[in-house]
Amino acid sequence: MKTLVALWRVPSARLALLVLFGVGFLAVFGGALAPHDPLQQYTDEVLQGPSAHHLLGTDYVGRDVLSRLMEGTRLSVVGAVEAVLIGGLLGVPAGLASAWLGPRLEWITLRTSDTLVVLPFTVFAIAVAGTLGNGLQQAMVAIGVLISPVFFRVTRAATLGLRKVQYVEAAELMGATEWWTLRRHIWSKVLPNVAVTAAHATGSALLVVASLAFLGLGVTPPAPTWGGMLSSDLGYLAQQPWAPVFPALLMMATVGSLNLLADAIRDATGATAAPRRRTRPAVAAAAREERPDVVTV
Amino acid sequence: MSFRSRPPATNLNRRTFLGASLGAGLIVALEACGGTSSGTGSASGSGTIKWAWQLPTTWDPVTSSAGSDVQMLALAYDPITALDQQGNAIPWLAESWKYDSSGKKVTFTLRPGLKFSDGSPLDATAVAKSIERGRSQDGSLIAPQMKTIKKVSASGALDVVVELKEVDYQYPLLFAGKTGMVVNPAVFEKDAASLATQPAGSGPFQVTKYTQNDHASAKKNANFFAADEIKVDAFELYPQADPATAVAAVQSGQYNLARIGGAQVKQARDAGLDVQILESMFVSVLDVHAGKAPFNDPAVVEALKFALDREKIKEVANFGIGDVNYQPFPPGYVGYNPELAEVYAHNPDKARQILADAGYQDAVPATLTSSGFAPAAVELIQAQLKEVGIEVKIETIPQTQHTQLVYIEHSKALAYDGFAGRESPVQAFQVLFGAEGLMNPSRQSNPDLEAQLKKVKETPTDDPAYPALLQEATRIAVTTYPNTFLYLTPSIIARKGVSALPKSPSLRRFEGVSTS
Repeated sequence: MKTLVALWRVPSARLALLVLFGVGFLAVFGGALAPHDPLQQYTDEVLQGPSAHHLLGTDYVGRDVLSRLMEGTRLSVVGAVEAVLIGGLLGVPAGLASAWLGPRLEWITLRTSDTLVVLPFTVFAIAVAGTLGNGLQQAMVAIGVLISPVFFRVTRAATLGLRKVQYVEAAELMGATEWWTLRRHIWSKVLPNVAVTAAHATGSALLVVASLAFLGLGVTPPAPTWGGMLSSDLGYLAQQPWAPVFPALLMMATVGSLNLLADAIRDATGATAAPRRRTRPAVAAAAREERPDVVTV
Repeated sequence: MSFRSRPPATNLNRRTFLGASLGAGLIVALEACGGTSSGTGSASGSGTIKWAWQLPTTWDPVTSSAGSDVQMLALAYDPITALDQQGNAIPWLAESWKYDSSGKKVTFTLRPGLKFSDGSPLDATAVAKSIERGRSQDGSLIAPQMKTIKKVSASGALDVVVELKEVDYQYPLLFAGKTGMVVNPAVFEKDAASLATQPAGSGPFQVTKYTQNDHASAKKNANFFAADEIKVDAFELYPQADPATAVAAVQSGQYNLARIGGAQVKQARDAGLDVQILESMFVSVLDVHAGKAPFNDPAVVEALKFALDREKIKEVANFGIGDVNYQPFPPGYVGYNPELAEVYAHNPDKARQILADAGYQDAVPATLTSSGFAPAAVELIQAQLKEVGIEVKIETIPQTQHTQLVYIEHSKALAYDGFAGRESPVQAFQVLFGAEGLMNPSRQSNPDLEAQLKKVKETPTDDPAYPALLQEATRIAVTTYPNTFLYLTPSIIARKGVSALPKSPSLRRFEGVSTS
């Protein structure tokens, strides 16, 4: 709550939170509040422009674009969040273990991370979809696995720095268990970095989900997604040159807000090397050097 | 591997399939120049046709796995015969042919002085060897069509004698397509594998460079027997342009000839491009596996046929271009049965009643497999089937897996695809309805149809009884097989600085086409 209050004080974070709240609202209630059934085809009103009946017009089989955008928010956002959760669940514990348990796991986790980093997102997701079948879950698992090295590296870097600070060593000397030390001294310092990474990764995942939907992977038609709508709109540019703007704007606003929020979290929690407001850059830089728990993401 | 071409997009209103044609005129012209132009066809052409259409699965007609490959292969190869607008066989490499009285031996007489693109003679021996390779080579995909051939031999320099195991008057038609494309024996005897990327034929163009999945470059073949009719000196072939950029690509000169969809017609015209709509034999079809639930119940299949509002699908998905069709042949084609013109006209009430009478109280679940092309049509079909109580889930699979899963493994119950047509109607029946037909997912056969096709094969194509026999075969197939035909889809072409293409339902040809 303290962090939220701190975030709210930053204008850009306030804007980002408002946008993300709106997107979250659409993700939860969009389908229910949609003015039309997003799958209902009004085949006599195909590719219509905005009107009182269809505020954002209709698509290539006469479905209401606004309703599809509202309904599509859920699948697009849920997919991205699911991928980030998978990435976090795989990457964060591995990062902690790699730094904390030393050589026992270090080599394996580093090599695994290096291997995953070289795999291109979209190609890997296509390969997984080809192997396991075309579906949102398969695609999100693929993306989550590829996102996990980001969490792994951030977590590991932060943990490595904290491993040698005096109060951690002191706790160990005084007989604290590894689990207690991790929970009390490490996790609370690593979490802000994970939060920043999660915000960034969600934005990236959203774009990957949209890219896959654009290519016809992930969500199967006629279920709406932002990427899927963008893809189909491109086939009818002659009739509706403005149509791709709606899903594109939603994507831009969401991804931009996530990036702004990530910056603000970094500022608010101190998990940053570059505080948003600093009157004395030299002092801030010096302070940073004295703080081994701070990681530049 | 696919047995469909991408839909040549769309068409306008009623067909003009039987209309007077530039193609017919062209054939007459080619007949006139016959042997005199062979080998001397260094007529000066100028300009380059840049055709954004499709690249073939291979440049070897024997191993080509897509029916639509014939369009591209015809650039480099000549078939023994050709088809006119009505689907009748007309001379091409062979200037005539004659069956003996038993109907078990046909002799094709070649034009004199024919040459392959490398200058070597294209004589009866070469043709016989080429046919022999097609029917005997391991991995040949045209061999099943020539199962009734007993022996092929050359008689003199110009006569190719084909002896048959049974009476079959379809060979002049069959040899108008890939089956009859003549490959240079000097090349396949030395290195048949090279044909996949380097064609060796006698067609209007000679491929000089081929980059897989990218483009092919070709130059005019001076040895083409009708080289005087080729008015350009180079040809570039590209994959189909993305719908979003096709018109801009032609406008900018990246291509000067491109296939476009119905959605781009107005845009192309507004951009000042010439838009030409060419009738084709392409018909959209739902491949139904009668051995898989729920289509193993004939009632569900019948309900499916009546549930579809083909006119609406055509209007919405194809922008009104094309013609609703319930059979594999277009109106005007000899196999087209006019009695089937409205056989499965949209009747959702009847579809519901059929399902109710069959005892279906709840929605019937089904999966419709699509390779991602024509998404509007697929989604419209889903909605229309839902209205009558067939709850369809759309499954999108990569195009590269489509033929494998649908036609080879027969693992899909319902798939949206298209049939590009075949030169011989019997061949079309074999592909669509035969016991080994690749577009017959359940491989179920119908003895009545087999018997009728036997009659068709045993009847000369110029016999007055032939059309009626063929049309009866069409009736049997359409009313007893589950495959559901939807609408005919013409080719729409945007041109810039290229003269009109000859009208030809089976092949896009470039004789007489010039650039400016």
